[in-house]
Amino acid sequence: MGLKTSNLTFDERVKKAKQDKFMQAAVGKAQDAQFEKRTRAREELGNWNGWRDLGEQIRQHVIKYLPDYLEEFSANIEKNGGHVYFAKTDVDATNYIKQVAKEKQVKKVVKSKSMVTTEIDLDKELLKLPGLSLMETDLAEFILQEDNWDEPTHIVFPTLHKNRDQVREVFQKIGYTGDNDPEHMGRFARKYLRQYFMEADLGITGCNFAIADNGMINLVTNEGNADLTMALPKTQIVVMGMERIVPSLKEAEVLDNLLCRSAVGQKLTSYCTFSAGKLADELDGPEDFHVVILDNGRSNALNTAFEPILQCIRCGACLNVCPVYRQIGGQGYGSIYPGPMGKVLSPVLDGGYENFGELPYACSLCGACSETCPVKIPLHELILEHRKVEMNKLHLDHSLNNVIFKTISVGTKTPILFKGALLGEHLALKPFSNKKENSVENLYPEGKVDKVPKIAPSLIHGWVDVRDLAEPPKVKENFRHWYDRHQKEKRGEING
Amino acid sequence: MAEVLKANDPKNREDFLDAIAKKANRPRHELKNDPLKLLNDLPETTLADKTPAELLDLAKKNSELIHVDFKTVKADQLAANLTKFIEEKEIKSLMLPSFAADKWADFEILDWKDELELEHLYFWDEANGRDNLINADKSDAAIGFADYLLAESGTITAATVKEQGRGFHFLPTHYLAIVPQSKILPRMRQAIDRYDEALKQDKLKTSNINFISGPSNSGDIEMVLIVGVHGPLDMTYVVIEDR
Repeated sequence: MGLKTSNLTFDERVKKAKQDKFMQAAVGKAQDAQFEKRTRAREELGNWNGWRDLGEQIRQHVIKYLPDYLEEFSANIEKNGGHVYFAKTDVDATNYIKQVAKEKQVKKVVKSKSMVTTEIDLDKELLKLPGLSLMETDLAEFILQEDNWDEPTHIVFPTLHKNRDQVREVFQKIGYTGDNDPEHMGRFARKYLRQYFMEADLGITGCNFAIADNGMINLVTNEGNADLTMALPKTQIVVMGMERIVPSLKEAEVLDNLLCRSAVGQKLTSYCTFSAGKLADELDGPEDFHVVILDNGRSNALNTAFEPILQCIRCGACLNVCPVYRQIGGQGYGSIYPGPMGKVLSPVLDGGYENFGELPYACSLCGACSETCPVKIPLHELILEHRKVEMNKLHLDHSLNNVIFKTISVGTKTPILFKGALLGEHLALKPFSNKKENSVENLYPEGKVDKVPKIAPSLIHGWVDVRDLAEPPKVKENFRHWYDRHQKEKRGEING
Repeated sequence: MAEVLKANDPKNREDFLDAIAKKANRPRHELKNDPLKLLNDLPETTLADKTPAELLDLAKKNSELIHVDFKTVKADQLAANLTKFIEEKEIKSLMLPSFAADKWADFEILDWKDELELEHLYFWDEANGRDNLINADKSDAAIGFADYLLAESGTITAATVKEQGRGFHFLPTHYLAIVPQSKILPRMRQAIDRYDEALKQDKLKTSNINFISGPSNSGDIEMVLIVGVHGPLDMTYVVIEDR
């Protein structure tokens, strides 16, 4: 699949997403449920902002000294008898992995959920090898694979856009005969995949964090498939983005706690594992242990305003609070990294704006993402920064904007002009204002200005079709009036 | 593919790391002058003031929240409780670790183990090599020993050893972990500290440490919680009260 998941244009993707009412309802429900779970988990821990400070500090520190930590980590892998390969590009990484698969004459591959392997399109590349079959073993990834490699819609909940009947249809193709009860379908997948696990000779995992000072990798999961992937096959390949490193187990502990609470509202997920290649006297685990450390555009962020995106721990909390994600879902973005983190990361990894130039504009700059980020990435500021860089790169003409903002600047700095402008606006909107009480209701019930005649130029429709307008206040009212009224309402002196 | 791509190759590594350092515009090997000192001590201090009794209560509450069957028993009741577990779950095939007799004796279950009568009794044993995985897959249940129990999250921890491997905790259908009350720790941090020290001092040799919080689960179909996807369908923790 690679980083880019769709050949449709941004507008086409959004149009398609808007028609998918089930997806919108599912995303909305998931966002609301996750909000409650996440908030509760964070409150229960206490001092959440103190923990976020630690998360930010650890991530910034390792990115500052990334080459030093990677050097220490790779030395420890070698010391433990493992193999490290540094891959500058997706092609380097997939070539190395295919080479290992060929050398080992691999027949059956089991994979546990990994964004980075989707980013490098590893499944498709491996399946080019004759005689090799492969199974995504995370339940959601398994459903996507069996549904003809459908695109994921979320980095933590990839099948959020599918309902139980759609899942049943997918499973029926591989022999499921039961009803649409998720538990029954889960049991079917367990049995189906267990058989495959027992025969697999290569396991491929991602990596939540790599431990520099002992060469272990840390995986955080709920289903247990990652642990089976690390126990059963004789060969294991770990694919990790080069930034996923921490100094020691202690920092991994801090980040795991931030990750689990932020991703799924759990204190810890069911399985949190620190693992490397098996020791000589142990009886299971990989005899042959490979780690592929991948750049693939991550270094484009270094020494730029976008460096903080490398702090990301892929919890998906920013997706779960984003009002734009709520409307268009993951597939609207056209990148395997959707939502706020995806808007920042996708153009960085891609090295430009050719494929993902619209994404930084699919944002209301509300800042909810930055607020929830457990490692304090200033996401909305980076989205804005992308707009600046993109404007400059494309040499877009901003002379009109310059004039407008200079005028606003003069107007807001000069009291007489400012008051005059307010009066002018109030008078102009007087015919629309509510004669009784002030209100936050929309002027039009549908929540958008759709009163413009169809024959009006499309440019106007582009503006008004998606914008709403609150009822204008009475001419003589301003914020102070509203505030006084609100206070009186609170005191019960008048009815709200 | 003409060229053979070499792992553990100094040129491959140095080219990569130099390129990052150059892009970052920061020289390499400056870390020694700026080691990481964390801004606060929340990881160490959170829940650190709890008494053993409070930790036990907290462990029970948090384990039950994640669908664990949590039992507290006196040492002399352990054998009877294990037998009850086998009967209740209708266990026909059981996997046990192959720890030496003194460990079983410490928990007062040496006789219980030696007298067990089941259709299939497997031990995670050196003699079986990788066939241990096949036996674990065939087992209705595993009864194992946890290193620690974390009060905050209802988590048991286990480092892989030759007597009790990785697949031991994941392949059997039901799972029971035995842990002494004295091994209940406030949070993941205290367990990490102990493992980290033991690894660095070579007191512990392991390639794998599991932190397991309740049964395997998934919310991948309509966000409905399914318990038991790949790992055990249910989990029982048996805490042996301090004497």
